Amino acid sequence: MGQLIKADMRDLAAESRQYLTFTLGGEQFAVGTLCVKEIIEYGQVTAIPMMPPSIRGVINLRGAVVPVIDLGARFGGPVTAVGRRTCIVILEVQHAEGRQVLGVVVDAVNEVLEIAPADIEPPPAFGTHIRTDFILGMGKVGGRFVILLDIGRVLSVDELADLASAAQHADEQP
Amino acid sequence: MNLDDALHTFIAESLELLQQMEEALLHIEQAPDDPDTINAIFRAAHTIKGSAGLFGLDGIVAFTHVAESVLDLVRAGRLHFTEELAALFLQVCDHIGVLVKRAAEHREPEDSVRQNGTHLLEWLNGLLDDDPARDATAQPPATCPAETTANVERAADTVGTDHWHISLRFGQDLLRNGMDPLAFVRYLATLGRVQHIVTLTDSLPGADDMDPESCYLGFEIAFRSDADKATLEDVFEFVRDDSLIRILPPHSRTAEYQQLIQALPEDDMRLGEILVRCGTLTEAELAEVLRSQAHDVPAAPVGQLLVEQGIVHPPVVEAALKKQQQAKENRQAANNLIRVDAGKLDQLIDLIGELIIAGAGASLVAQRAGNGELMEATALLSRLVEEVRDSALTLRMVQIGSTFNRFQRVVRDVAKELGKDIRLDISGGETELDKTLVEKIGDPLTHLVRNAMDHGIEPAEARLARGKPAQGLLRLNAYHESGSIVIEVADDGGGLNRERILRKAIERSLVAEGAALSDAEILNLIFEPGFSTAEQISNLSGRGVGMDVVKRNIAALRGSIELDSTEGLGTTVRIRLPLTLAIIDGFLVGVGNAAYVVPQDLVVECIELDCEGGHDYLNLRGEVLPFIRLRNLFDIEGAPPRRQNVVIVQFGGLRAGLVVDQLMGEFQTVIKPLGKVFGRIRGIGGFTILGSGEVALILDVAGLIQHLASQRHEAHPHTFLKESL
Repeated sequence: MGQLIKADMRDLAAESRQYLTFTLGGEQFAVGTLCVKEIIEYGQVTAIPMMPPSIRGVINLRGAVVPVIDLGARFGGPVTAVGRRTCIVILEVQHAEGRQVLGVVVDAVNEVLEIAPADIEPPPAFGTHIRTDFILGMGKVGGRFVILLDIGRVLSVDELADLASAAQHADEQP
Repeated sequence: MNLDDALHTFIAESLELLQQMEEALLHIEQAPDDPDTINAIFRAAHTIKGSAGLFGLDGIVAFTHVAESVLDLVRAGRLHFTEELAALFLQVCDHIGVLVKRAAEHREPEDSVRQNGTHLLEWLNGLLDDDPARDATAQPPATCPAETTANVERAADTVGTDHWHISLRFGQDLLRNGMDPLAFVRYLATLGRVQHIVTLTDSLPGADDMDPESCYLGFEIAFRSDADKATLEDVFEFVRDDSLIRILPPHSRTAEYQQLIQALPEDDMRLGEILVRCGTLTEAELAEVLRSQAHDVPAAPVGQLLVEQGIVHPPVVEAALKKQQQAKENRQAANNLIRVDAGKLDQLIDLIGELIIAGAGASLVAQRAGNGELMEATALLSRLVEEVRDSALTLRMVQIGSTFNRFQRVVRDVAKELGKDIRLDISGGETELDKTLVEKIGDPLTHLVRNAMDHGIEPAEARLARGKPAQGLLRLNAYHESGSIVIEVADDGGGLNRERILRKAIERSLVAEGAALSDAEILNLIFEPGFSTAEQISNLSGRGVGMDVVKRNIAALRGSIELDSTEGLGTTVRIRLPLTLAIIDGFLVGVGNAAYVVPQDLVVECIELDCEGGHDYLNLRGEVLPFIRLRNLFDIEGAPPRRQNVVIVQFGGLRAGLVVDQLMGEFQTVIKPLGKVFGRIRGIGGFTILGSGEVALILDVAGLIQHLASQRHEAHPHTFLKESL
């Protein structure tokens, strides 16, 4: 993982990259387009019993079962309410044993932007609502900041698995 | 096919052959001197050597060649397959295996392997040197400067034509292929008596042109034997393709000899003389043969002669043809098997999974549309898809026999190591199960087998004292039972001592002191993690070493394990596994808005819930049946409907009810694995996709029951589970 991040940073420094920006809880976030597979309308999420709020459930993506993560809850906020523009962004993350496709629930998808490395600031030590290790950097777009997410960290498969099994044990032993 | 692919094939084949060789070697310990088995061993070694030669794997060729030479002695009956020899060859077999594996990894064998090889070679060469007949035959005939004739056991009363005549002209590559011309003659001698043999050196070129690695020899052999032509032809099986071999039965007609003489490359007159010298023909007969030949204008082409040769002696020809046909069929049967990349099969099964989901979707639409014709069409379609699924799944099915047979070796080795006499009895080897399961079941089985031999079966004295035969018996058995495969590992040893287990479990605070446990519950304690440690107390202890690991491995395959033990009489461990990991027949139930799938094999019956009050058990025809309210367990919101149903499930020996809102019927379903994120959660076995495209959860009933049972165990040991009858 460490290497991956380093590689990401190097890429970041080398040339401007494209980012997909989306809104969640009134804030702007962005992820590199390379890991975005597709964006689908929110619907038909099957909830899994005894799961923490950050794991919303699973969807059928053309025959494959894909876990859906509630980013809002994952960042420590409330569960994302489903509205007219709610979407699921399908992302592919790399982990130790291969790739995992995951979906994240967002309030709205905005646009694809090109952000030059010069316009990316390092993440602040505090002040954001989310864990700093989730943040790759702060991109300046039109005088505002968008939070560039480190998807490998946010959707760390090991961490999610821990969350899932821990929640279940807590649930079963009240 | 590039060389690497070919090498893979070679390695796969060699390992298979070694497996066969090992089986034959283990078999020969029971039935020494069985020619079929000896031939099988020889053939395996020979084929590996030949193929290794193609790839220039000289290490394997050199080693296997020596082994093959020793086997050749056995084949010739000059060496007997004693137990030591079989044991030696098992090591040889292992060593070749190591060499092949190193070749697969493109690595040179390590020093330890080399040393082992040298050691084995010394041993093998020692056997070769001890052979009394070797000195006499050590000189290859190729060095003979002129035609040699030798009288081998000529008996005065046998002159005449009542013997076979065999003409051999070996191919030039014979020696390069690792064959020894004399080996054939020697082997022939085991089938009868070589009355006379003439070595032909006519095709031997001058010393300058001669390639010492080529074979230029031919033999004319007068041979007395009761064997039939097919057997004699079998002798030359390995060289049939590139050598000229003619076998004439006794009392053949002169025309046949005439054809023989024509077919052979040497001068007719000279051949005739040789035939006379062999005693095959008399002078008068030869004259007759040559005379009739003169009448034939012009000599028919060899090919046609070969055909005609077949017409003359009907019974012999028929037998030969039949034999040939058989050989051909055998070859065809072998050709009918194709190696397929397991990945391709998986892909096919995935696709069929999609097809099933799509088919279910179509049926749903048809039902909604209420179009009779359409419904009929989709019903037909789903039946066909079901058949396609079944046959696709059988592609992945393999018999468990080969896995079982591997234990012959394990049992033999471990028994020797322990100094016990133990026989392995295998049954149900033809039972089929999924290839992935076969691969994964090996380790747990080995563990159980070793355990049974080490701790289950008592030493011979103890057995005799208990009035049991000194030889211990270990049984491996497999059979199908209600959609699962059951594998049994049974021993006739001392069995498990329940009191001792209980005492130990209390010692390790796995159970509360004074807890009332059923027999089965006590036995199952040995699967608890931390039940046993390395500390050895009695013949019982150690049985638990790693048993929790075995149980976990089996559970990972969606299987279960149970124990059955009678003290003093033995223990049976029963492993129950699903037939396949890919597709199951499910029973769809609904709770609130969610749908869940219960594996159909586990569902016994469904009844309506009519129970008041807060307790979680009901009266099922006089039997207490505990149940789980899925709504409560899964925290599903909303009030339960007025009518609720109970799905009664049975798993292994346990029976329980699941309370659900709706019963939605049977449903064929593809299991989608939980994946990394959900891999560790319990109570859910996987996902599946419904016809509507929605994802449903497959309940892991066993996990659910066991988990809940263990949880409530401390509080109320007996209210939750009931041992079924």
